[in-house]
Amino acid sequence: MATADLGKRGALPNPDVETYGEVNRDILKVLSRPGKGWWILFGLALAGVGLFLGSWFVQIVRGIGVSGLNAPVGWGVYITTFVFWVGIAHSGTLISAILFLFRAPWRQSIYRASEAMTVFAVMTAGLFPLIHVGRVWHAYWLVPYPNDRFLWPNFRSPLVWDVFAVTTYFTVSAVFFYLGTIPDLAAARDQARGLRQKFYKIVSLGWRGTDREWHHFSKAYIYLAALATPLVLSVHSVVSWDFAMSIVPGWHTTIFAPYFVAGAIFSGVAMVITLVVPMRKYFGLEKYLTVKHFEAMAKLCLLTGSIVLYAYLVEYFLAWYSGEPPERGSFWNRAFGHYWWANWTMLTCNGLVPIMLWFKRVRRSIAALFVISIFINIGMWFERFVIIVTSLSHEYEPWAWGLYRPSLVEMGILVGSFAWFGFWFLLFTRLLPPVAIAEMKEVVPPPLRGKAPADEAGAAAPAGSAT
Amino acid sequence: MSGGMERRGFLKAVGAGGAGAALAGCATDKVESLIPYVTAPEEITPGVATWYASVCGECASGCGIRVRTREGRAVMIEGNPDHPLSKGGLCSRGVAALQGLYHPDRLAAPRRAVAGGFEDISWDEALDALAERLGGASRALFLTGRQGPAEGDLLNRFVEAVGGTRLTFDPLDDVALRAAVDIGFGVKALPRYDIASARQLVSFGADFLETWLSPTAFAADFAAMHGLDHGEKGRFVFVGPRLSLTGQNADEWIPARPGSEADIALAIAGELVRNGTSAGPYTELVAGRSLAAAAAAAGVAEGALAALAVRFAEGGVLALGPGLAGSHGAAAAANLAVLVLNAAAGNVGETIHIPDAPDREAASPHGDLVEALSMMRDGAYGVAVTAGANPAYALPPAAGFREAFGAVPYKVALASVMDETAAMADLVLPVAHPLESWGDSEPAPGAYAVRQPVMSPVPLFDSRATGDVLIETGRRLGHDFGAASLREHVRAAAETRLDALGVSAEDGEVRWHSLLRTGTAAAAGSAASGSPASASAPAARRALQAPNTAAGFGAPALEGAGDLALLVHPSARFGDGTHADRPWLRELPDPVSKIMWQSWVEMNPAAAERAGIRREGEIVRVSSEHGALELPVWFSPGIREDAVAIAMGGGHENHGDFASGLANDNGVNPMTLLPAAADEQSGALSLVSVRVTVSPTGAWERLASTEGTRDAQHHQDDRRIALAVAMSALGHGEEDAGEHEGGHGQLQELQEGGGFIPVPTEGRAADFPLPGSDFGEYGQEHPRWAMVVDLDKCTGCSACVTACQAENNIPWVGERETQNGREMHWLRLERYYETVDAAEAGPLDVRFLPMLCQHCNNAPCEPVCPVFAAYHTPDGLNAQVYNRCVGTRYCANNCPYKVRVFNWYRYVSENVKEPLNWQFNPDVTVRDNGVMEKCTFCVQRIREAGNRASVEGREVRDGEIRTACQSVCPSEAIVFGNVKDPESAVALAAADERSYRVLDELINTQPAVHYLKKATFHDVDEGGH
Repeated sequence: MATADLGKRGALPNPDVETYGEVNRDILKVLSRPGKGWWILFGLALAGVGLFLGSWFVQIVRGIGVSGLNAPVGWGVYITTFVFWVGIAHSGTLISAILFLFRAPWRQSIYRASEAMTVFAVMTAGLFPLIHVGRVWHAYWLVPYPNDRFLWPNFRSPLVWDVFAVTTYFTVSAVFFYLGTIPDLAAARDQARGLRQKFYKIVSLGWRGTDREWHHFSKAYIYLAALATPLVLSVHSVVSWDFAMSIVPGWHTTIFAPYFVAGAIFSGVAMVITLVVPMRKYFGLEKYLTVKHFEAMAKLCLLTGSIVLYAYLVEYFLAWYSGEPPERGSFWNRAFGHYWWANWTMLTCNGLVPIMLWFKRVRRSIAALFVISIFINIGMWFERFVIIVTSLSHEYEPWAWGLYRPSLVEMGILVGSFAWFGFWFLLFTRLLPPVAIAEMKEVVPPPLRGKAPADEAGAAAPAGSAT
Repeated sequence: MSGGMERRGFLKAVGAGGAGAALAGCATDKVESLIPYVTAPEEITPGVATWYASVCGECASGCGIRVRTREGRAVMIEGNPDHPLSKGGLCSRGVAALQGLYHPDRLAAPRRAVAGGFEDISWDEALDALAERLGGASRALFLTGRQGPAEGDLLNRFVEAVGGTRLTFDPLDDVALRAAVDIGFGVKALPRYDIASARQLVSFGADFLETWLSPTAFAADFAAMHGLDHGEKGRFVFVGPRLSLTGQNADEWIPARPGSEADIALAIAGELVRNGTSAGPYTELVAGRSLAAAAAAAGVAEGALAALAVRFAEGGVLALGPGLAGSHGAAAAANLAVLVLNAAAGNVGETIHIPDAPDREAASPHGDLVEALSMMRDGAYGVAVTAGANPAYALPPAAGFREAFGAVPYKVALASVMDETAAMADLVLPVAHPLESWGDSEPAPGAYAVRQPVMSPVPLFDSRATGDVLIETGRRLGHDFGAASLREHVRAAAETRLDALGVSAEDGEVRWHSLLRTGTAAAAGSAASGSPASASAPAARRALQAPNTAAGFGAPALEGAGDLALLVHPSARFGDGTHADRPWLRELPDPVSKIMWQSWVEMNPAAAERAGIRREGEIVRVSSEHGALELPVWFSPGIREDAVAIAMGGGHENHGDFASGLANDNGVNPMTLLPAAADEQSGALSLVSVRVTVSPTGAWERLASTEGTRDAQHHQDDRRIALAVAMSALGHGEEDAGEHEGGHGQLQELQEGGGFIPVPTEGRAADFPLPGSDFGEYGQEHPRWAMVVDLDKCTGCSACVTACQAENNIPWVGERETQNGREMHWLRLERYYETVDAAEAGPLDVRFLPMLCQHCNNAPCEPVCPVFAAYHTPDGLNAQVYNRCVGTRYCANNCPYKVRVFNWYRYVSENVKEPLNWQFNPDVTVRDNGVMEKCTFCVQRIREAGNRASVEGREVRDGEIRTACQSVCPSEAIVFGNVKDPESAVALAAADERSYRVLDELINTQPAVHYLKKATFHDVDEGGH
C-alpha cells in the first residue's frame, strides 16, 4: 500500500485519529472483555440458533410438510431467505474487492465488517437449499462427485449452477476475508495474553510485518480482489437464473441478472449500515467510521436502489407489452391480488423510502440512515417473497392457482437464520478487529518526527503491524 | 411401511389369500393355515394378475366389474365391457369398493351388546342367539336393503319361514317414479330409458349421471347420445333449480323453481296435444295447461318453455326425471306428469320402456315404514333385524326411528362396520363384502349377471355373507332352503335363469364356468350386448292408462317460514352416506363443488349477499323448524337464488373413523333439517320439503377445495385451457379451422400496444412443424405413447380420479392437508364455468377437463431437475425416478400444468392403516416422504403389455394398453396408444379437427395429451390472441 499516494487519491483522512498507537488501542479494545450488552445479544443469538436447529430437526423428522409449502407454491420462505442472504453477501465483496480495485477511499473503515458479513451471510444462505429440499440426506447428489454408477448431476439445471456459484463464492470470499485479517491478527497477537495469544499466534501465521511479507501480501490481496470481483456479478446472476431459466410468468425475464445484482448490492450495503451503526456506537468507533463513510454508502444505496426501482417498472411494462394473458395476469396479481400487501411493502421500502437519500441531510444523518437501511432490509426480503411466492401462486392454469401461508416452523427457521448470522457476527466482533487496523493506519497522518506525541507512538511502535 | 406388514405376515397373507382364491367358491371356508408355494395354487402365478368378473355391490345398479387380483388379493376394480348395462364403465364408488373390502373399521367378529359396550363372540354363539330369538313367539321385522334376485328370494323365503315382515329400505330408490308408473301403466316397476336412442334429452332434475337409477349405464348412453359423432350430437336441456353434475353437462338450463316440474311437463304436453298428438287419458287434462301459467309457476320466461315445446314437437325428445330432485310433496304427480309428457311426445315404447313385471326388489314406501315404526314403539315386534340398511342415519331424526328401534326388545344388525344402526343393536353380525360373496343381478330383461368372490375373505375379519347367515340360521330353526350355502343357492338360481334364457346346456359345468368367466349371460339369439332396449324387445307396447287413484297435479307446499327452499340431494360420492367411510371418496373432490372431506351449503352468491354473507367458506347457520346446522357456505352460480342445497352423506356419528370425524371434519347430516314428510300418493320420503333461513355466524373455515384461488370466479381468465367450438364452426375443412385455433395455425407478430396480430404468409405455420413436436425426438423405432381426451364426452364424473388413485398407490392426505392444497391426485378434473345464469333460461356452458401429466416432448420439468430424477424415456414418457429425487420441487414450479404432486409427509405410512395397504398395486412403487410424483401414463401397464408382446414375439397391439383412467371411463372419453402408428385409434383421434393441446401454442411444450374441444350449440368466442 503506497501510503504516499493517499493524498493524491483523495483519501478520507481521519482528523480525529492522530497516531498509529491510537488506532491499535481503539480497535483492539473491542477485543477485550465483553460488556453486558454483548452477552445479552450473544445469549439471544444462541437461543435463536437453538430455535433454528430445533425447527430444522422437526422438519427433517416429520417431513417438509411442517412448512406451509404446497402445490402450486413449492418454494416459499426458505428460498426467499436464501436469496436474501446471498444478496446480503454481495456488498462485502463489492466494498472490499471492487472498491479496492477502484481505489475508492472510503472503504477502509468498513470493509472488514462487510467482509465478515459476506462470509457469514453465505454461511447462512448455504444452509437454506439444504433446509429446503425434501430429502436433505440426499442433497449431496447435486455435487458432481465420481461414483461407480456414473451418475452425474444435470448440468443444464440452474440448481446445479447454484451449487457451484455459492460454494465458489464462499471459498473465495472466505479466503479473501482471512487474508485481509492476517496483519491485524498479528497486531492482536502482540497485545493479547494467555489463550487468546495462542489463538492469534496460530491464525496470524507468524506474520511479522516485514517488507517481504507486505509485498507478498499486497500482491495476493490484489489477485484475490481481481478474482472476487467477477463473482460479485456472476454469483447473483446465477442465483437469478434459478428463476429466469424457468417458464414461470414473473420469473422468465432477461432483466433478472442485472436486476438481481443491483438488488443484492442494494440490500448488502443496507445491511452493512444496519450492522455498523450499532457496532460503531457500542464500541466507540466514531472516529473511524465517520459520517463521510456513511454518506458514501448512502450514495451507493441510492444508485443501486434506483436501478432496482427501474427494474420493477420495466417488469410491469414488459408484462403489459407482451400481451400474454399469463404474463399480464401474473403482474396484475402481484399488484392487486392476494399478496398485494407484500408487493406494496416491497415498493414502499425499496422504491419510495430510499428517495429520501437524495437529500444530503438525510444521507449525513446516521439515525436516518439506520432507519432507512432497516426499511431496505425488509423491502428486499419482501422483494424475493413477491417474486417467488406471488409468481408461483398465479401461473398458467387458473385451476391450479393457490395460496401459501408460512408456517411456524418456517418462521422459526427465518428468525433462527438471523440468530445464526448474528452468532457468527458477534463472535467476529470479539475475536477479530472489526475495523482493518493496517489499512486505517494508511489514512492516519504518518508519525513524522516532531509531530507525534511521544508517549503513544512509542508504546505502539513495536506492534509491528504497520510499516 | 414402518410398523406395517412384516415379511412373515406378508407371506402368510399371500399364502392364505392365494390358497383362498384357488378355492374360490368356498367363500365361507376360512383358510388360515400357511400354505407355501411348494404346493402352488393352480390359478396363481406370482407376479401375474388374475382377473375375476363379478357384479358391483356398492349400490343397487349392479354394474359389471372385473377385479384384478395379485397373489390372491384384489388390487383393482375396472368395468366389465361384456356387461349389458355398464358396458365397461365404472364409477368412483365402484372402484372404492376395494376400500370397503379392506376397511380397517370392518367388524372383526360378531358382537353382543353388554353393559357399556360390546363384546366379541363366536359365530356359533351369535347364530344360536339369533335362532333362539327368531324361533320365539314374537314377531320379527326385517329391514333390509335392495338385494339381487337370488339373495332377495332367499331373504323373502326366510322371512316367510320365520313368520316375519320385510321392509326394504333404500333412500336412493325412486319410489315416486315406480308409483307413477303404477298409476300410469299399471305396473310397479321402474321404466327403462334408452337414452342412446333419443335425439334430444330433457331432464327435469334427475341426476342420471350421478346417483339416479343406474348412473354408469346412463353415462355410457349419454355419451352415445350427446357426444359429437360425425358432426352431430343430441341436445340436452336441464330443467331444475340446481345444476347437479348432470345439469352441468346440459347445453341449456331452464332454472325452474323446485316443485314446478309437473306444471312445465304438463304445459308442454298441452302444447303437443294442441298440435294434434295424444297424451292418452290425460289429453283433456293437459290441453288446458298453458305455457304462461307454467312459466309463472316455474319462475322462468315463457319463451324458454315455448322453445322447449318446439323441440318436443320435433320428436325424439326423451324426458327424464325428476328423480330425487323432485322428491317433494307431489313427487308421484311430478313423475306422472313427465310420463304423460313422454307419452305425448311418443316416447313410450321407443326410448322409454315399461317392463311387464313389477320390480322384484323395491324400496318400501315411507308410509309402510311409519306404520312399522309405530308398531315397534307399541312393542308389536320382538325382534328387529337390519341388513344392508342404516335407517338410524339415513332417515330424518323427525321420523323417530331411533326411539322406535330402541323400543324393540332384541335388535340385530347385519353390517360391515359399526354404523349408527348397528351401534344400537343387541347383536351385530359382520357381513362379508360383496367382493367376498356370491350373488347375482338382472341388469336388463333377457340378461343375467353373477357375482362371485374374487378372493378369500379378508382373514382379519370373520365375516359371512347375509345369505349364508340366513341359511345357517334357517338350519338351526329347521328350515331348509334347498341349498347348503349361498354359493349353492346362487348357482341353482343361475342355472334356472340360464335355462330360462335359453343358454345352451350341453355341459352344465362348462356353462357355469363360462358364466363365471364373462360375468354375464344373455338370452340366446338376442343382441344382449347392445342396449337394454333391444334386449327387452317388448311384445306389446304398454299405453298410458287412466289413473286408478286421484292424481292431482298441484304444486307441493314447502313447510316453514324461511325464504330459501332447501334441496337435499344424494351425494355423487357417498350416495345416501353409505360410502362416507372410504378415504378415497372423502378426498375425491365433489364433482360439482370440488370440495373434499367437508360438508357445505351451496348458495347463489346473490342470495348470500342478501343474507349478509360476504365470503365463501363463512360458517352459516341453516335452520328449519326441525333443526339447525352450522356449515361453510360454497358460492355456486348453478343454483337459483331462492334455494340452497346440501348433499347427503355427512355427519355420521358412527360408521368408522373416516366417516365419524375422529380423523377429520365429518360434516353435517342434512336430514336433521327435514320433517319426516312423504308424498302421499307414492309414499316417497320428501327431500325437498322445507324452507330454511341462512344466517352468518361470523366464523370462517377454509374450504378444502381443489379449485384455484377464487379471484378467477371459476373462469379460465383467457388462458385457453378447456376449449369449445361451436357446432356451426365444425366441418369447414382445415383452412377455417386454422383461423379458429389461432395458434400454430397462423404466424403472428407482436403489435404496438401489446398483443399479437396475424401475419399474412405464403404457407401456414402448420406446414413447418417444429422438430419432434408431434412424435418426440427419438427415432421411429420407438413408440410415442399419447392420449386423447374428448371433452365433448367427458361428464366430469371423476371415476378416473379414483381409478388412478387405486392403480397407482396414491395416498390420501386428510382434510387439513387438502385445505392447504396438498392433495396427491395425479389426475384432477377441472371445471370451468363459461356461461351459467341462474336468473333466466338460456344456453349453459360448463367445461370439464381431466388434467394429468401431459408427457410433454419439450417438458419444462426435465431440464430443471438437478439430478435427472425427471427424464424422458425413448418411448416418449416423462418419467420420474423416485429414488433419485432429492425434493427441490423445481420441476413442479416449472410445470405449467401443475400436475406434479409432492410427498410432504410420510402419507402412506401415516394414513394408510392396516389392512387398507393390502390393496396396494404390487407393480407400483409406494413413495416415501420428500419425493415428487406424478402421472406415469400407467407405465406399469405399458411395460407389462410390452413384455407380453415381446415374449409372444409381436408388437404391442393398438388398444392392448389401457390406462387406469381409461379403463373405468363410462363415456369412453379417453383413448390411449402409440401416436406414431398412423392407424392407431389415438392417432386418428388426435388428427380430429377439434384436437388441440393445452398451452402448447403459448409455451411450446408439445404435450402427448391431446384434447378434443367440446362442441356447443351456441357460438363460442375463444378469443385467440
